[in-house]
Amino acid sequence: MKLQLEAVTKSYKSKQVLKGVTLTMGTGVYGLLGPNGAGKTTMIRILADVLRPTKGRVLYDGKDIHDVGDEYRAKIGYLPQDVSFYGDFTGRDYLEYSAALKGMEKARAKKRIEELAYSVGLGNDLKRKCTAYSGGMQRRLGIAQALLDDPEILILDEPTSGLDPYERIKFRNIISAYAKERLVLLSTHIVSDVEHIAAQIMMMEYGTIQHIYTTGEYIQRMEGRVWLSEMPAEQLMAYQNRAVISNVRAQGGHMEVRIIEDTKPFPDAVQAVPTLEDAYLYLFNYLPGKAGR
Amino acid sequence: MSLFRFELRKLLLNRKTLILLLCLLALYSVVGLTSTMFLIGGNDSYRAYEELAAAWEGPFDSERAAEAETIYQEVSARYGTDARMITRSVKDQPKIILAVNYHAYAERVEEYWKGTPPESAEEPYGIALLQREIAELEGQEKQETFACRKLSASLQRLEELGEPEFANALLWENLFNNWGEHMMQFLLFVPLTFVIAPVFAMERSSGMDNLILSSQNGRRKIVTAKLLSALAASTVVSALYLAATFLFGFLPHGSFYGWDAAIQSIATYSRSMFPFKAWQLAVVGAVWLIFTSAVYSLIICFISSRMKNQMGTAGVSLAILFVNVGLAAMGDTVTQRLGALVDFGLANVTLIKEVFGGYQVFNMFGLCVSYPVMAVFVLTAVAAIAAFGTYMGQKSRAVA
Repeated sequence: MKLQLEAVTKSYKSKQVLKGVTLTMGTGVYGLLGPNGAGKTTMIRILADVLRPTKGRVLYDGKDIHDVGDEYRAKIGYLPQDVSFYGDFTGRDYLEYSAALKGMEKARAKKRIEELAYSVGLGNDLKRKCTAYSGGMQRRLGIAQALLDDPEILILDEPTSGLDPYERIKFRNIISAYAKERLVLLSTHIVSDVEHIAAQIMMMEYGTIQHIYTTGEYIQRMEGRVWLSEMPAEQLMAYQNRAVISNVRAQGGHMEVRIIEDTKPFPDAVQAVPTLEDAYLYLFNYLPGKAGR
Repeated sequence: MSLFRFELRKLLLNRKTLILLLCLLALYSVVGLTSTMFLIGGNDSYRAYEELAAAWEGPFDSERAAEAETIYQEVSARYGTDARMITRSVKDQPKIILAVNYHAYAERVEEYWKGTPPESAEEPYGIALLQREIAELEGQEKQETFACRKLSASLQRLEELGEPEFANALLWENLFNNWGEHMMQFLLFVPLTFVIAPVFAMERSSGMDNLILSSQNGRRKIVTAKLLSALAASTVVSALYLAATFLFGFLPHGSFYGWDAAIQSIATYSRSMFPFKAWQLAVVGAVWLIFTSAVYSLIICFISSRMKNQMGTAGVSLAILFVNVGLAAMGDTVTQRLGALVDFGLANVTLIKEVFGGYQVFNMFGLCVSYPVMAVFVLTAVAAIAAFGTYMGQKSRAVA
């Protein structure tokens, strides 16, 4: 199974949100990282076939998804960025309605709903109205919906927003177990969501995919670029405006600062083991001056 | 559960809509009840009228007409010449009401024989007038023209129906007024607009479009389910209106008297060329109202599929309805110029008195096609276009 984007462009009036994205994905987990406004959601929506590109096309096994139509949509599970509900639907209603939309057979839908409700920890809450759910519960219900028909392609837009750390880990485990022989595309700006489970991580900015590597490759590229240094709080105040700092920790009377720099920033700075988060900050050059982008 | 049942629940079987339906039921019941109560005085007055009228029923009687004329002249000097106004002013005097009604009937009999005045802009009606116009056309050797064939068909129908007879169909007339006046469009079509408007627009405003459009059945089957649920909802609302006005129209006097009277004995339908009894028109009228509501609902579905919110959908739908009502209310000069736009506009085509109250025919490839048949054809075409447009819209729809 192969999913390709061929020079996909999306424009809203004069603003180009996606700029000729070309990409090929096979089975496995793909992480899509990028700052807000990078074009992640637009790309996700195009792949979920809820948005049409201005130019270019999306191919599923070599065929345009618009030509494949219902057959393509039958293979996808999609969790949008904002999960919405009908006011008087219970959790079970929502999942049954989703199953009807996916054309699932009634008995199979019933079985899957029970299984998934248990997996996402909503087994005892299906009778409650969705609108009475907490943000995390709504998100989990949305995840269950996306997984309902056992889709070949799973597209998740910021699936962990609103989840607590335990739920987040549980979600990652579900996805890891699920991804075998399937394509999972997971868009997020929370690096740890994809760090351990994604085979390939795409970094996106300004409507284009800037980098595609594995977590290991990103970390390797960061070797010798992450430093730990101690400095007083006053010095940090001035320094942080001209450096990419990935972490600050108060230690005694000083601050332990994690700095991302090509060269050793201070004589006393020592090299640290890089993480994917460091790579993210380095590649997107998160200097305070660019924070408003 | 099938998609249709979910869509029906979203549109109709939810708490908000059920409360609205209960309110509508109360409103329609009051409309049925008050319209009957203003028709004639109390139950005793109606019983007395029924007894008096029973003796006067049947073919035209010139002695009774003369008697009715005397009473009418007397009472019209006091209350004016409008028959409805007079009957409302003398609600507890059934004899006067009967005389006024018989006077109006006598005028209709005269019109049946002599015909509408030549200066009238209405469709030619009446034996003598039709014979004269046919003779004129034949004199000009135009007997093969559509105009001549149309007049001949009208004459033939009129002769078959025969001279109208007097009958007491007071309660049925009241029912047909409730079903066939512009008031119905406000009472039925305006609430219907608000019930149907969310059908597609709610997905956009709620954000559920994401889930629907990315699903296997989210482009075609969902449209079928939504259209069917809209049709079911419109049928329920229409049936509510029909049932409440029917039940509470007859309930106060506990009588269905006049059920087998020819509709030509009812003032509004005196020129009707359809050989219906009152009960038959009630059945046809009910079916017609359900049918036209269904077509209007499909138009709203189409609008809803193109709009971003429910209020926008309701606004555009109501604007279309009111523009149609406004056009139909224009003078003869304007309505004649607009022609088919008024004839098949929502205002006229939804009123049973317009569709079944006369004998308007249309030239369809040289054939004389009656108004109801033509209206069915036009409305079906409009419904098909609206449904097709909705399918096409959903096919290319994208999230906002």
